[in-house]
Amino acid sequence: MLSDIVAQYTQDSTSYHGDLAFSSSNAWQGDVAKQFGQLSFDLPNTGNPAEFLHQYTDVKSDHDALIKLAHGTTTLAFKYADGVVIATDSRATQGSVIASQSVKKIIEINPYLLGTMAGGAADCAFWERELGRRCRLYELRNKERISVAAASKLLGNMVYSYKGMGLSMGTMVSGWDKTGPNLYYVDNDGTRLKGNLFSVGSGSPFAYGVLDRGYDHELQKEDALELGKRSIYHATHRDAFSGGYVRLFHMNEDGWEFISLTDMDDLHWKYTGDAAVTAS
Amino acid sequence: MECLLGLVGKDFAITVTDTSVIRSITVLKHNENKSRELNPHTLLAFCGEPGDTINFAEFIQKNIKLYGIRNNVELSPHAAANFTRRELAQALRSRSSYQTNMLVAGYDAQKGPSLFWIDYLAALVEVPFAAHGYCAYYCLSIMDRYYRKDMDLEEAKDVIRKCIDELQHRFIINLPRFVIQVVDKDGIREIQL
Amino acid sequence: MDFAALAPSANSVMPSVHPTSQAKEAAFSPYEDHGGTNLAIAGADFCVIASDTRQSNGYHINTRFAPKTFKLTDKTVLTTAGCQPDCNMVATRVRQHIEWYKYTHNRSISTAAIAQMLSIMLYQKRFFPYYDFNILGGLDEEGRGAVYSYDSIGSMERVPCQCCGSASALIQPFLDNQVRNKNQKGKEEVTAFDPVAKLSLETTLKIVKDAFTSATERDIYTGDSLQIFIVTRDGVEEQRYPLKRD
Repeated sequence: MLSDIVAQYTQDSTSYHGDLAFSSSNAWQGDVAKQFGQLSFDLPNTGNPAEFLHQYTDVKSDHDALIKLAHGTTTLAFKYADGVVIATDSRATQGSVIASQSVKKIIEINPYLLGTMAGGAADCAFWERELGRRCRLYELRNKERISVAAASKLLGNMVYSYKGMGLSMGTMVSGWDKTGPNLYYVDNDGTRLKGNLFSVGSGSPFAYGVLDRGYDHELQKEDALELGKRSIYHATHRDAFSGGYVRLFHMNEDGWEFISLTDMDDLHWKYTGDAAVTAS
Repeated sequence: MECLLGLVGKDFAITVTDTSVIRSITVLKHNENKSRELNPHTLLAFCGEPGDTINFAEFIQKNIKLYGIRNNVELSPHAAANFTRRELAQALRSRSSYQTNMLVAGYDAQKGPSLFWIDYLAALVEVPFAAHGYCAYYCLSIMDRYYRKDMDLEEAKDVIRKCIDELQHRFIINLPRFVIQVVDKDGIREIQL
Repeated sequence: MDFAALAPSANSVMPSVHPTSQAKEAAFSPYEDHGGTNLAIAGADFCVIASDTRQSNGYHINTRFAPKTFKLTDKTVLTTAGCQPDCNMVATRVRQHIEWYKYTHNRSISTAAIAQMLSIMLYQKRFFPYYDFNILGGLDEEGRGAVYSYDSIGSMERVPCQCCGSASALIQPFLDNQVRNKNQKGKEEVTAFDPVAKLSLETTLKIVKDAFTSATERDIYTGDSLQIFIVTRDGVEEQRYPLKRD
């Protein structure tokens, strides 16, 4: 009975149904939820859809295109003795306009899996939502939670099947499973890396600088969280595409925990009081 | 910017892979393994377009493992290299090709050790020594100069040491760590220089 | 082989093959910016959605009354700016799906569900995007105002107030200042994470009208007239105000 329901909402993880130009995605199938459960994308009727897309959309502010998409980021995550620290800024830019200062760049895939958002905001949000759906189907089918390795592989395979089409996504999937805390980097060219420390986005070099100098696997939880927060702060200070608030999460054995959301302005005045920051 | 080397000795084949994953100006990871074990006596080392490399390598690995399970006999290194080449060539003429350069190193109980060089256009050659990428410019001449047939392991390690020293001396990209793997009659193992 | 048989004879009709008559791809440029500005503000128990009605094409004004705000249900309104055919297509398809939802589930769809559905529908055109910037306004399940802001491929966020379209860079800072009390000493700030603004309906309407009259003075794509949709628990009320027509 349950498996029938699961089957209804299941499709092959790698195939994409948007292969036909102008697919009739709005054909009514009765159940709207089911219809949106089957991935299908419309394509422009041109020889090279990717080139068409590149001409009209701008995901990196690298050229002036008509349709400016929300993007730009500093995100980081690192694994240490007590779990995983995940921290992001909250700014989204469209061209040089700040589209939002309050973006949720840490996406709760489910109670024990987190994804981060760098690159195209819509790409990350859509595919990590889809990942959440597939992880739930995995649970229903196998009666156990999906491992972080498998979840990140699902995400990697999904975006790999659209390689070269113009998706923009740099994400870190973190979680706690049978093997302990885990951290994977997944991006739009299909790369999937297991690691202890990653930073993604336009501000990542700045974040790496502070993070690498302060990182130690044996950090206390409090110090680890402060390191994450501080690395994001310094990145937003030097990278104009990053800013807003520092959002901080921690991955525990029983799932993720929201730690804090701090205005960058408050942090700036707090840290400029410290001797460490001398440049204004 | 990746480094991939291989050579054949008296009764073994060696592969050398760097361990850096580089995106734009950032090194994302310092300890990535850029090879897959195809069967107990065949090793596939790869470099090239991110995403494509691991996807193709794991596809080949899984299929060669499946062949071993189904037929109760393992593919020889020669057969594995030709299977890899054929799959790459077929993908090359489809909408989704793989931009992956590879070395297949293996040991065959009858024919001894062998090394196969495969590039992303699916050209396959059996060679005594090989290199892919920018490091080929430095290392091929070193191997031309110092490679001899029927080298023992210590002599082979000496040639590889020369290659790595030269890369770290002249090549602009910093490659601090390498994984050196040996395939011989006992199977695949990692060694230190 | 008889080569003579292959030579063109006087009787055979040869297709005229000219080098330039080969298959070629015509330039495909399906987008145009038709200008216009929209905004939405969420209040404690109401939501105000407004847009001007000018439709222009470069320096040419097509019409002075082209509505681009659409009532979807008794508690949800969609407002769109960008390329007019894309805007209309999005509105039509959303309405269609709302209808299907009603027939399938025998109840009317919530604002939050429409918001998520719109996000997915925009993302379905990820590789051929609608040139269309949307704001969805309405009441949530608790009866509070709700505003959802989008980019053209479905990145979605719930905010207390949002402006999009040609004058968005003029109006959004004004809304941040007047609606959210941003960077004002002695006034309580409405953060972007608060769902609603702390304003009365009367003040909200004043702010909306001020925003549009001011934007009309400085943006050539905004003007002619203003449509305001007020969503309360009694339903959707539409008001119209003239703007300068120069």
